[in-house]
Amino acid sequence: MVVIDHKEFRKRDFLYVVPFWLLSLIVPDPHLDHLRKESRFRRRDLFYLGALLLLPLIWSDKHLHHLMVLAGINGILALGLSLFLGYAGQISLGHAAFFGIGAYTTAILTTRYAFPPFVAFWASALVAAALAYLIGSPILKLKGYFLALATLGFGEIFLVVVREAHRLTGGVIGIFGIPWFSLAGFAFDTYLKQYYLIWGVLIGLLIFSKNLIRSKIGRAFLAVAASEDAASTVGIKVAQIKLGAFVIGGAFAGFAGSLFACVMSTANPEAFGLNLSILIIMMVILGGMGNLYGPIAGAIFLTWLMDILGKYQEYSLPIYGLILILLLISFPDGFGTRLNIRLIYLISYFGRKKRRERVEL
Amino acid sequence: MTPWVHIPQLLSAGITIGAIYALVGLGFVTIARASQIINFAQGEFVMLGGVITFSLLKGAGLSYPLAAIVAVISVVIIGFLLHILVVYPLRKTSIPILLIATLGASIFISNTTALVFGTLPKALPSFSGNLPLLIWGVPITPQSMWVLGATFLLLICLYLLSHRTLMGKAMEASSTDPLGADLSGISRNLMVFLAFGVSAGMGAIAGIFITPIFYTSYHTGTLIGLKGFVAAVLGGWGKNSGAILGGFVLGVVESLSVAFIPSGYKDAVAFVILLLILHFRPKGILGSPFIDSRRW
Repeated sequence: MVVIDHKEFRKRDFLYVVPFWLLSLIVPDPHLDHLRKESRFRRRDLFYLGALLLLPLIWSDKHLHHLMVLAGINGILALGLSLFLGYAGQISLGHAAFFGIGAYTTAILTTRYAFPPFVAFWASALVAAALAYLIGSPILKLKGYFLALATLGFGEIFLVVVREAHRLTGGVIGIFGIPWFSLAGFAFDTYLKQYYLIWGVLIGLLIFSKNLIRSKIGRAFLAVAASEDAASTVGIKVAQIKLGAFVIGGAFAGFAGSLFACVMSTANPEAFGLNLSILIIMMVILGGMGNLYGPIAGAIFLTWLMDILGKYQEYSLPIYGLILILLLISFPDGFGTRLNIRLIYLISYFGRKKRRERVEL
Repeated sequence: MTPWVHIPQLLSAGITIGAIYALVGLGFVTIARASQIINFAQGEFVMLGGVITFSLLKGAGLSYPLAAIVAVISVVIIGFLLHILVVYPLRKTSIPILLIATLGASIFISNTTALVFGTLPKALPSFSGNLPLLIWGVPITPQSMWVLGATFLLLICLYLLSHRTLMGKAMEASSTDPLGADLSGISRNLMVFLAFGVSAGMGAIAGIFITPIFYTSYHTGTLIGLKGFVAAVLGGWGKNSGAILGGFVLGVVESLSVAFIPSGYKDAVAFVILLLILHFRPKGILGSPFIDSRRW
């Protein structure tokens, strides 16, 4: 039984404690994650999994299903960038280009050469990863703003090439009529089926990433982010580790792009511009750096936000820019961190002082 | 017909656009010299300069010089606001956050401009007629001469500002040695604030000079801003002379490329040059005072 000290905790405080507690179930806490005993599967994961499985069944709104499909695709993108930006500490403003490369690989392979989508899915990731390797090996020696500028330049070159190489990519109009994703004769042709497909892929990639960051390579990512000089003195090959993170991020984006092409059944250059790269970085920042669940939560939030803003027609982009800045100013280190610090202060009123001690604020 | 026939014409066009890239690059360098921040909304100042002058000239019916002066002043105020509202609250955060914040500001400014001033492309009249001058048989528009003259004049002003005034020296000190600047009583935040104003003003002037040559629309700012940044990196990051040289080199190469490759690929040329220069010589052509220090 929890004893409430009435002097410190008033009844009306429940008004915000309860929403904060509910949020804490959803929003991950980067400050506590690395202190907790590392178990492969936690009770909270079961909660997420159950919620994901049941959500579309309880809420059978077609629009919501489609939104969650897009959120899942953005989640895969954000997960890949989280390894590169959140863990290895490098900036990439060209992540949308790898997404586009994945989408165009699938589009060209399935419509021109009649490859089955499943084969095109893996080919997309391979092509995106190979390009990430080729681009990454010269430019990853740069740091900070210069790395951002170089990756941004790569993204712009990709867009120009896609617009101009009419014969291969269909130019500004793009490619139409990409078949649904299908596996052994089973076509994913409704939003509900696509929902389970995409979140299945996302969970697979999440498990991969969780194992990766607990491995030697994942520890090396963190070391490189903290200090490249210190990392190289303990024998980490910094260039290789950064390139590895970039290639894995690129492969993730390739998977996402392939799924995107199959879901939308079109691929045109407008979808892969700088704005998408900004959006993906925003997901990782809002989710919290060095955190795997956060970017996915950020992806769901921002996809939902973009959908709402879409209703305001010509006002949507100014509002979007404004919200971007306001979110960055109020949550510069992610939703999770700020909310959890407040939450921990509140929970400690209930006598759970142990949690407060564990967090160094 | 061989492409060589067009070379002199393309060269003059390249020098004109190069002067604009140089002005935009100078804007980036001014802020970077004061604070090592890179303001990705720089291109929007250029766009705003052109669009506000146009609307004052056509809508409010002001005379040309008055419209230009009012436009420059209002863009400088927008630059100050950008610093106060976006960069100052985030000055202690990491690079990705500042980067996305200035990009967000760029999205906000360009799309608000579309709302307020409309989405149609705008073209100002030339300053002094459209009759091309013939220099060694190459026709050059008077507007190009204006652009070159303005670049030269602004470069001199900037040189005097940073080398002959206390404010300019304080700006440079706050970037090269932040602790030393603090100890000598320089308010670094004030210096960054002033640098944003100067850079916004230069962007606006570039925008006013470029709008008679190229159409200015709400979305043209981003690309010009990025190319100006490429120019500053190409010439040598953090040097005024580097930004000028980089701007002219970039403008000429980009313009000449039209003779040899399909013109649709023109926008990619700047970024290919960028990737090459960042790989082979990150310091840029003239070398950079910032690159060697470990901060980059």
